[in-house]
Amino acid sequence: MESSHSAQTAGAAHQEHASVHTYLRVAVVLAILTAIEIGALYVPGLPPHILVTLIIIFGTFKFALVVAFFMHLRYDSKLLTALFVGPLMIATLIILAIMALFGSYLLLPRT
Amino acid sequence: MAAEHAIDAHNPNIGCTGLDHRKMGMWAFLGSECMFFGSLIGTYLAYKGKSISGPGPHQILNIPLTSVSAFVLLMSSLLMVLALAAVQRGDMKWGKIWLFLTATLGAAFVGFQCFEFTHFVHLGLTLQTNLFGSSFFVLTGFHGAHVTGGVIWLLSMWWLAMRGRLGPQDSLKVEICGLYWHFVDIVWIVIFALIYLIP
Repeated sequence: MESSHSAQTAGAAHQEHASVHTYLRVAVVLAILTAIEIGALYVPGLPPHILVTLIIIFGTFKFALVVAFFMHLRYDSKLLTALFVGPLMIATLIILAIMALFGSYLLLPRT
Repeated sequence: MAAEHAIDAHNPNIGCTGLDHRKMGMWAFLGSECMFFGSLIGTYLAYKGKSISGPGPHQILNIPLTSVSAFVLLMSSLLMVLALAAVQRGDMKWGKIWLFLTATLGAAFVGFQCFEFTHFVHLGLTLQTNLFGSSFFVLTGFHGAHVTGGVIWLLSMWWLAMRGRLGPQDSLKVEICGLYWHFVDIVWIVIFALIYLIP
């Protein structure tokens, strides 16, 4: 009975997606963030560490917006979120491990 | 609503989690793809600045051109969700239009990448030139191959819709195709930031 109820809940959650207006708003935000990211490259005198931080934060925010709204993870089952976010964390660790293995760092100067 | 759930209960694609196996399979596949691209991105970053001969990224990368192609791919994601929304509400006319336009923008992105690769080869950067060349071409080349696969998938969906073999009852097929398409978009968000924008 309980499993039938959870299946129904998941089915209902599956049907609930963002509206077209939400998609358009997300697209506008994505376009603005991309424009700021690119524009920041041409700001004279902007310190590199500020630029890198800005690009990483904006890139992460764009990534999250597409996954949450366009890929509907915000409205879908938590199980699907776990299926994606788990390997994503492992991928992040792979990137950091390979960089550490080669003694190369993105932010710190090499000696 | 009760009838819909009764149908779901007898659907062989719905498991004990209440989720469609095909959709779960696609998410698991995308998770594995995260690790695939993670290893390529990690290798690129590990080799960053280690080439002993040129040309290097600051001499060769065309940021304005790639910004346009990144924008094109980003907007194709919008068209993809519009296609899915149209198919879900049974508006197959707009569903076909959005699917075709998504594939067109994807093809335009591949065109930009072909132009960029050709230009780099003319400037003397190949897979064998230096560490930057090998890690750059392998990473962006695999991403381009994924986009090309996505364009073929989208065109297949559009062709089925044109022949009347794709309707609102098949919206999950469009949704799964869309998941793959959005994934290649988010991978490009990361590649674009790490390779092109970070000095």
